[in-house]
Amino acid sequence: MSLKLQHVVKKYKDFTAVNDLNFTIDKGEIFGLIGQNGAGKTTTFRMILDLQEQTSGTITWEGTPINKVNRDYLGYLPEERGIFPQMKVEEQLYFFGELRGMNREALKKEIDFWIARFDLEEKRHNKAETLSKGNQQKVQLIASFIHKPQFLILDEPFSGLDPVNRDLLKDAILLLKEKGVTILFSSHQMDNVEELCDHLCLLKRGVSLFSGSLLDLKKQYGKTKLTLRTNVPISELEKMAGVKEVKVDRDECILTLMDESFAESIFEVVSNGRYIEKFSLDYLSLDEIFKDKVGGNGE
Amino acid sequence: MVSKLWILIRQLYKQKVRAKSFILMTLLYVAVIAVVIFWSDIKAIFVNEEALEVALINETPVELEPIFISNEDITFSFPTDSKESVYDQLKEEKLDAVVVVTEQNETLNADIATYAPLKLNDQSTISSFVQYAGKIYGIQQLNLTASEADKILNSEAVIKTTNLNEEVADGKSEEQKQSGIWASYFVGIVIYFFIMAFLSMITTDVASEKGSRALEMLLVSVKPSTHFQSKIIGISLLALTQFTIIFGFLFVLLRFTDGGAKWEMVDSILNELSYTYVFYVLAFLFLTIILFLIIGALFGSLVSKVEEASQVMTPAIMIALVGFYVMISGMANPDTLLIKIFSYIPLTSGMVMPMRIGATDISPIESILSLVILIISVIALYMISLSFYKRSVLTYSSGGVIQKIKTVLKVTT
Repeated sequence: MSLKLQHVVKKYKDFTAVNDLNFTIDKGEIFGLIGQNGAGKTTTFRMILDLQEQTSGTITWEGTPINKVNRDYLGYLPEERGIFPQMKVEEQLYFFGELRGMNREALKKEIDFWIARFDLEEKRHNKAETLSKGNQQKVQLIASFIHKPQFLILDEPFSGLDPVNRDLLKDAILLLKEKGVTILFSSHQMDNVEELCDHLCLLKRGVSLFSGSLLDLKKQYGKTKLTLRTNVPISELEKMAGVKEVKVDRDECILTLMDESFAESIFEVVSNGRYIEKFSLDYLSLDEIFKDKVGGNGE
Repeated sequence: MVSKLWILIRQLYKQKVRAKSFILMTLLYVAVIAVVIFWSDIKAIFVNEEALEVALINETPVELEPIFISNEDITFSFPTDSKESVYDQLKEEKLDAVVVVTEQNETLNADIATYAPLKLNDQSTISSFVQYAGKIYGIQQLNLTASEADKILNSEAVIKTTNLNEEVADGKSEEQKQSGIWASYFVGIVIYFFIMAFLSMITTDVASEKGSRALEMLLVSVKPSTHFQSKIIGISLLALTQFTIIFGFLFVLLRFTDGGAKWEMVDSILNELSYTYVFYVLAFLFLTIILFLIIGALFGSLVSKVEEASQVMTPAIMIALVGFYVMISGMANPDTLLIKIFSYIPLTSGMVMPMRIGATDISPIESILSLVILIISVIALYMISLSFYKRSVLTYSSGGVIQKIKTVLKVTT
């Protein structure tokens, strides 16, 4: 194991931001921290980064208390985008790299690689403030891991990126994982979490609702989502045994079942021994689980 | 490996020293200094002033003409024509003024007639001539000659001061006190200008890093204390750079123009100053600047965005302004109670105490006490700021200064 949070509590005068948080992130895995605004994600990150002190509990990296760990092992992309507006892109990356203990030669190699990868070659000598928001974000992202950290924290890395850049970022995160970097990130966009995370932690108002592997979370709910394309009227579908809810999405019906065991009997009725275009039983999506866990309001 | 502190300082210094505002400000200071030093030459080019033409009509029996002596600014003529024809000349603007002197009840009366209004300066020059003539006239009533009268008016006593109190053994001569006033005035101005320029620089720099959230990126890799120190050292170095340029330029101008005549004047002031005085001045200068920079960085860390920086700076600037005016008041009389009080207050003592040390006879204990108070304040403020800075740099809040401080305390304890 590498990062371990045990019974971490952060209390302010009039409220508790994080309450008894426990999770472990193994080396080289991608871990997602999910929660609504104000759930305590940024506070948790700041405690891990030793920007804030926890009220109680322990945070360790490979067994060492986090405030004793060499800060250059860590990388951080804050939620609010911030780079030096007056500095040129390249200058900025050199500055952050050198600040994290890298020499210019090694940095040059890294900078060249990532600038090419994120398609920033033309902007290399431009001042940061002249860049588009998306490009600024890419620069800041590179700045957060230019020094090859062992552990990288990304706070909402996908917000504000268009689909093309989102894919670029996803690929970059996977590449970093391949290189053995442990990554902790938060996101509102569940599809990103679902695609990238091995493990995750669901936070609601400072309390952990779930912590573990994505598959375990899905298994908790079981395969209760049934999608079909059928001529059977909705009123009949609603009456079938084990059906909790029916929703129509264009030409498809999405059924929420009480249990996956009801699927077979429904299949028999709906297909009635004939060809059927679509009958698909699935786990709930993370988005749906999230909404259910935190109480409907996903964003 | 280069230390993180040094990397931060280097980045700050490089960025600021190349900034247009810094270069322009330095050039402006240099230009102002050049204009001041060459003022008489510049004035000669632009202002080709002719001497004032004044006609004097003396209607008294006494001979007053030797008193009204022409110089390069004013030419007196003594026409014997009729008053009317002289007034006509005035109307034709051949003359600038006509002074008619008469006698009434044994005092001199003068009527200064003009056509185009006189400048205040010229008016008072003529008045002082007339006043002097009035005195001479009074003396002449005693039947003295003009030169005898002149002697009475110009005789002055020779004054020498001796202090019998041995505790103030180093009683200063008037020259020393004068030099002290000039030197401390100079120090006061340097401190004042420094505060105005660099207090706002450090405050807005911290505020803009906080506002642009670059600070969060930085604080992951460096401790807040390192960041705080880098700002104070970096801005100090920048100030030192500007001072070196300005004073280097000033020195070259003084030393190598006019065959060094101007430098000799400065040199004579410097010669009157003791080493202890120079030590005190440098100590007060350095410590006061550090004190204001600490305040600037701390206040910069309080705001949420750079637009609010000027709001939090105001109190510090007001205090600097008060100190400056107290010092100016000391130019006329450095022994007032006001000066004494402000020479102990840490933020103003740097401007006021050097004046007391240089221009008054004070016991060394007072200056040491003031310096010790300043040193303790710098250390105490540094410690307090450091612990506060850690908490305020990542706290964003709205409202006034007090409200911001309250928020920081609330969300971090």
